[in-house]
Amino acid sequence: MAEAAPSPAQAPRSRARRREAGTALLFLLPQIFGLVAFIGVPLGVSLYYSFTHWDLVAPEPTWIGLENWTHLLEDERVPKVLWNTIKFIFTGTLSFLLMSLVAALLTYRPRRGVAFYRALLFLPYVLSQIAVGIVWRWMFNTESGPINAAIELFGVDGPQWLLDPATAMPAIALVTTWQGLGYGMTLYIASLHGVPEALPEAAKIDGANAWQRFRHVMLPMISPTVLFLVVTSLIGALQLFDPVVAMTTSGGSIGMAGGPDDSTRTVVLYMYNQMFNYNERLSGLGYAAAIAWVLALLTFVLTLIQWAFSKRWVFYAGEGAAKKGGQ
Amino acid sequence: MTITDTIKAGTPQRAAQPAPGLHRARRRARTGFYHAGMTVLVVLYILPVLWAASMSLRTDANMFDADQLIPHPITFEHYANLFTILPDFGRYVGNTVLIAVVGTAGTLLSSSLAGYALARFTFPGQRALLMVILLTLMVPPQVTLIPQYVIFRNLNWIDTPLPIIVPMLFGGALPTFFFRQFFLTLPRELEDAAAIDGAGRWRTFFSVMAPLAGPAYLAMGLLTFVQLWNSFFVNSIYLQDQNQWVLTQALQSLIGRYNSQYGEIMAGVTLVSLPIVIGYVFVQRWVVRGIAFSGMAN
Repeated sequence: MAEAAPSPAQAPRSRARRREAGTALLFLLPQIFGLVAFIGVPLGVSLYYSFTHWDLVAPEPTWIGLENWTHLLEDERVPKVLWNTIKFIFTGTLSFLLMSLVAALLTYRPRRGVAFYRALLFLPYVLSQIAVGIVWRWMFNTESGPINAAIELFGVDGPQWLLDPATAMPAIALVTTWQGLGYGMTLYIASLHGVPEALPEAAKIDGANAWQRFRHVMLPMISPTVLFLVVTSLIGALQLFDPVVAMTTSGGSIGMAGGPDDSTRTVVLYMYNQMFNYNERLSGLGYAAAIAWVLALLTFVLTLIQWAFSKRWVFYAGEGAAKKGGQ
Repeated sequence: MTITDTIKAGTPQRAAQPAPGLHRARRRARTGFYHAGMTVLVVLYILPVLWAASMSLRTDANMFDADQLIPHPITFEHYANLFTILPDFGRYVGNTVLIAVVGTAGTLLSSSLAGYALARFTFPGQRALLMVILLTLMVPPQVTLIPQYVIFRNLNWIDTPLPIIVPMLFGGALPTFFFRQFFLTLPRELEDAAAIDGAGRWRTFFSVMAPLAGPAYLAMGLLTFVQLWNSFFVNSIYLQDQNQWVLTQALQSLIGRYNSQYGEIMAGVTLVSLPIVIGYVFVQRWVVRGIAFSGMAN
């Protein structure tokens, strides 16, 4: 039986282990430095800023305690920008999740020509959101844009799209869905290819129709991918910025985006406005930091809720058995 | 390519299967119906892209005509005008390429080193570090932006590409995780062989493992490059001096100022998108694989 004292054979092994850890640290050094310098420290500093007022004209931030945070509760634009972001989640995120699944179901089976369809459906994803936004701004143009021109062929007037507070955000959601569809589709396809063919076959023999096979066999099998897309697209939706700027800027500057009537001003756009606009009592870096922290907390809470609920509907094949690739 | 694919799409697949005649006919009809439907769908789907390119080549008189999808006559005057409106367009291209190339190279190097260490070394705190890296995916970049802005301002880096490039040099959570997952899929025997040959961990990485990870570098590199090429939010924060603009900013500046000059706006959109679209045609498979792999890794 081994005693507490290390045997002669163990000493070199622990030295080797220490050496290995040392080399690992060197490999990891840039990444760890990046995490600390560009995420860890700024995270804390921005929390500190949220208790200060700073317009960048003064050399240093001034401590004002909870004033930014209480102002968040009074600022009537805060519920407005939160509501706008929620509107986007219920239009843009939901339609992205559904439509990219539809696209995947249409193209996941290996057939001739299918790679061509996938490539075209994926194409918008590699374009810049600014370029895409500008193009769709024209598509939605109420005077000579193609969409309303097509609607008018049926003898009805099309909606005002980006000019109407009721339709502006859904219009943006349509564009982000159009652009992101290929991404979601690609992940769904990869996941659908992981479903053993015997499963839907067996269900078919048992008399399940196409919908039942999808709902009770395919969907549970791809539910981890659904969860991944739900979580990441929610995080992305909370940070909506570029498409809004491209589609709603009137006049030259980003500060003028967010219309009509503030109906598309998102949390991040409002943060941007506050960061570079010092006309109000509290506006500046401090208040912007508080808004950013609201965004972070919102992201955290929503992700946590997703994880909590996921236990009810996400099915991991081979759970309990050895997991592939050490997830 | 488009035409042949469309033609192929119209022909039913595998007619030679030993199925009963009626069954075969029905299947053939169904396949033909599928391909016809999909062809219409995908063409409609990318119509906005085609439309934008088409508008950039139309004369002003024909700008709003529905039958001008293939412009007749074709004019390049809007491209010429674009360079008058934005005389520094070449500079914006240079700024964008610099950020995208250096940023991508730095991210690939740092993240692959970190990903390799997480996949193949054993050291205390390994799991915890991986958890922390994954948790940072939840941190909105906007939260860390303000302190970063202050730091870079104190370093006098505002209106230089450094605030965008430098953080990229230290890797990123997603690429690091991606490389970790990729290295886990490679067989260990290769490293054992290298070790027997007396190679240290560094040499093993650079001369054996990194070359084997070529596909991962390619896929992640393309994704990072495209992301940097297209990015707008951070650039608009740090690069407010017009000389330092990147292409997306130049594009954005057209709206509002030249709202009614659709030809010039669409020429800008086309020029900014074209390199990416052309590149995409060639490397599409790798981009898609990269995305599929990074998604499956989760």
